[in-house]
Amino acid sequence: MLSLILQLIAAIFFTGIIIRTKSIFSGRKGPGILQPIKDVIRLFKKSAVYSETTSFIFQIAPTVYFSSVIMAMLVIPFGQSKGIISFNGDFIFFAYVLALGKFFSIISAMDTGSSFEGMGASREALYSMFAEPAFFILMGSLALLTGHTSFQEIFSALHIGSYITYALAILATFVLLMIAMIENSRMPIDDPKTHLELTMIHEVMILDNSGFDLGLILTTGYLKFAMYGALIVNLYIGVIPYGFTIPLFFIIQFLMAFMIGTIESFMARFRMGHNAQFIFALTSVSLLIFFGALLILGKFL
Amino acid sequence: MIGLEYIIYATIGICLSFSIILLYTPLKFKANLAVYAVLVNALLTSWVSFPALYGNIVEYAINAGSILGNIAVRIDGLSAWFILIINFTSVTGIIYGSGYLKAYNSTSSKINLHLILYNIFHLSMIWVCMLQHGLAFLIAWEIMSLSSMLLVIFDHHNPKTIKAGINYLVQMHISVVFLSIGFIWVYFQTDSFSFDAFHTFFAGNSNIWLFLIFFCGFGFKAGFIPFHSWLPHAHPAAPSHISGVMSGVIVKMGIYGIFRIITYLKTDFLLLGEIIVTVSVITGLYGILNAAVHRDFKRMLAFCTIENIGIIGIGIGIGMMGIGNGSAMLFYLGFGGALLHVLNHSLFKSLLFYAAGSVYQQTHTRNMEKLGGLIKHMPKTAVIFLIGAIAIGGIPPFNGFVSEFIIYSGLLEGMKSSSLSQLSLLILSFAGLSIIGGISILAFTKSFGTIFLGHEREKPDHQPKEVSMRMLFPQYIIIVVMLIVAFFPQIFLFTISNILRQMIIPPFRLESSVFNIYSSIITNISIYSVLFIGIIVISWKIRAYIVRRNSDSIQATWGCGYNGIAQKAQYTGKSFSKPLSKILNFLLIEQKQYTELQEGEIFPVKRKYASTYFDFFEHLFIKPFIRRLLYAFNYFKFIQNGRIQSYVIYGIVFIIAIFVLTVLNIIQ
Repeated sequence: MLSLILQLIAAIFFTGIIIRTKSIFSGRKGPGILQPIKDVIRLFKKSAVYSETTSFIFQIAPTVYFSSVIMAMLVIPFGQSKGIISFNGDFIFFAYVLALGKFFSIISAMDTGSSFEGMGASREALYSMFAEPAFFILMGSLALLTGHTSFQEIFSALHIGSYITYALAILATFVLLMIAMIENSRMPIDDPKTHLELTMIHEVMILDNSGFDLGLILTTGYLKFAMYGALIVNLYIGVIPYGFTIPLFFIIQFLMAFMIGTIESFMARFRMGHNAQFIFALTSVSLLIFFGALLILGKFL
Repeated sequence: MIGLEYIIYATIGICLSFSIILLYTPLKFKANLAVYAVLVNALLTSWVSFPALYGNIVEYAINAGSILGNIAVRIDGLSAWFILIINFTSVTGIIYGSGYLKAYNSTSSKINLHLILYNIFHLSMIWVCMLQHGLAFLIAWEIMSLSSMLLVIFDHHNPKTIKAGINYLVQMHISVVFLSIGFIWVYFQTDSFSFDAFHTFFAGNSNIWLFLIFFCGFGFKAGFIPFHSWLPHAHPAAPSHISGVMSGVIVKMGIYGIFRIITYLKTDFLLLGEIIVTVSVITGLYGILNAAVHRDFKRMLAFCTIENIGIIGIGIGIGMMGIGNGSAMLFYLGFGGALLHVLNHSLFKSLLFYAAGSVYQQTHTRNMEKLGGLIKHMPKTAVIFLIGAIAIGGIPPFNGFVSEFIIYSGLLEGMKSSSLSQLSLLILSFAGLSIIGGISILAFTKSFGTIFLGHEREKPDHQPKEVSMRMLFPQYIIIVVMLIVAFFPQIFLFTISNILRQMIIPPFRLESSVFNIYSSIITNISIYSVLFIGIIVISWKIRAYIVRRNSDSIQATWGCGYNGIAQKAQYTGKSFSKPLSKILNFLLIEQKQYTELQEGEIFPVKRKYASTYFDFFEHLFIKPFIRRLLYAFNYFKFIQNGRIQSYVIYGIVFIIAIFVLTVLNIIQ
């Protein structure tokens, strides 16, 4: 429960911090941190415009997408406190529940019959497919290292071992951060600020969404950020008492948002053709973690 | 309780009398009669198999004279599980087929033959599961292959269909060659064709080679790489209810055979398990990669069958590794996951084939690039296909997730106590399985999106409309069963644990605590799936409440300022999967046919562009091999010269040879 509340709070600020960071780096004052939430509330009140090509799929898809992320958030633990849902192998459930949301967001883009949106859908399907093995090898290696298979047990057991586990945690952070970027369609994979449909991924998929549905999709994006942030935080907090971990949670979430803002201010998006290679290279980082785990367990000897 | 023998004679009697009555039935009622015949046979055999699931093995021995000896017929848990799956899929298949065939204005004799063959085909599969005698098994196996081949070539006026049928026939016979070698080998060592002789054989001889021979033989049926190449030809050629049944259960007969042989193994579990896992991961990846690029939607489903066979194979492999490692949990998760996935796959794959058949019946094309927007004309079929697509991707809240989760858990469980080589294999399989899941989302969003969503890409000859209730009804039943598996998996897990207890593999004991741990987890997952659906419904209600007063408007899709209808500009299935095929172009071989724009060609003229994807294994290994073989066989053409005189000489030479060899005591 604690984890869910913390994630929801983090979601409120996360995107605002990214935008603020970017505006400060580009020499502007920028909007307030709560501006994204205000935008969403405004969208919630608006009427929608539907394409005449679309069917009911287009209308239910944002809701399913939103619900899948909510469901996935329930699985995330916080230190010693389990997520609302916790069982052996829950990270598989986590990945597959997110897949349902992705499935619906892809077919909703196909539903508009637009030439652009199919392109975004195709890219989204491809990139998230390539990101999958990185996540599974990462979690599989951590499961191997700790001997547990649920998020909460893996994360709390991660700290009992030697300090070298923290080296793995740093690599894991990198992988998770990149997966978060892919899933949220951020730099360096996707540029949310681009104005050309041909170079968009996520933005082009939701071109025809408006009103409440668009608000729901944006909210889901914010929640997803906080969710991945919470996963990363979990790599570090272990069994430390709440008095330290709760502030640490917000510090790490803030740092992550700040980092994303920084990356987006100083980097250009990768060439579309190179994205797949880059994402697949994450799998090799995950394999490094696997070898690290083997080293720690002394399997090579 | 009525003995097995009565059931056997009853089913054969029903099959025969049905065949005779059918000939004198008016065309209108033929299909109904067939439905009843299959239904009665299915009920009878299910009735006798059901107790076997819970340990009451039914046995009977047919006395087949001096050559074959006593043929043991036995239904144990494993057979019963497969028989029940066969019965369910066959019944839905014939109900669907009776509606599907109406669209064909076929002659009475063609329908007669088709329906009689379907009946024989159904019984032969049950026989395959029951017989415990090598030769009798081969006969049943052969009847099954032949009848299914004849069912495939229903549309025999089409040369492509005949070609696919012959391809299937040939490959099935290569499979039979492997199986015969296996059985004969055992016969020479033990002097018995009975399956029980395997115990003696495996106790005294090396386990690896005989198992691998059987694995190849059954692998042809199941469609393991590189024995898969008949599937993508036969499935599109067959009428859809046949494709559904073939993909749902025929390929599972291969899996049944592998399971059956495993129960007799004594040693080398670890090595064989590792081999199976490796082959299966490759099979799964290869199958789904091809499924993602193909645009013939039935061919795509056929490749997807190969993928699922891979997933089942991973389960079998880790189950064997579990026996090798002495881990009961791993044994349970591997084999349990594989058995459950056999059921699940037979459900959603037949569902998808039926839905695809409905689309084909209404549009007369299997090319998804010509379709689009069908969700408006065939909403029920669209929803059915969507449910099948989500389930086959292994996504909760449907049944595919349950079995895939068990297999994933098995892979994780295997990592607890293993050597370095096993660990590496398991983690790569873990990643492989996740890629399979990812690509299957790509493949099915592509198919669903291209066939059912957007605008229609080409004007159809006649307006497609929703198919008849007779065709929809079996699909609804399948969905109900799928939901039962998804939300009450404990029933099935309990049954599977009983089956696994019957698979006696020494030195091994299955404690019920092993089952209980995962049963409770799986039960919890079904509760979480309900919660998930609850969240979706609540979010939907909230959305409905908030937007209730909104005045939504309907306008054209955003087209960068262009507001005409751009059917041709829609994203196609081909372009959807193009990035994937471009990255993996060494595996997904694409052939393009077009003429380059010439210099000085100022005014554009109409030109053609065609692109096809080749099957990597078929075109790089099988075809060149066959070409060489044909080349070599050319030199032996003189033997078959068409003159009766020389054929008579061959006969005489053969008889003399036999005579001389017998006299000289070379053959006895």
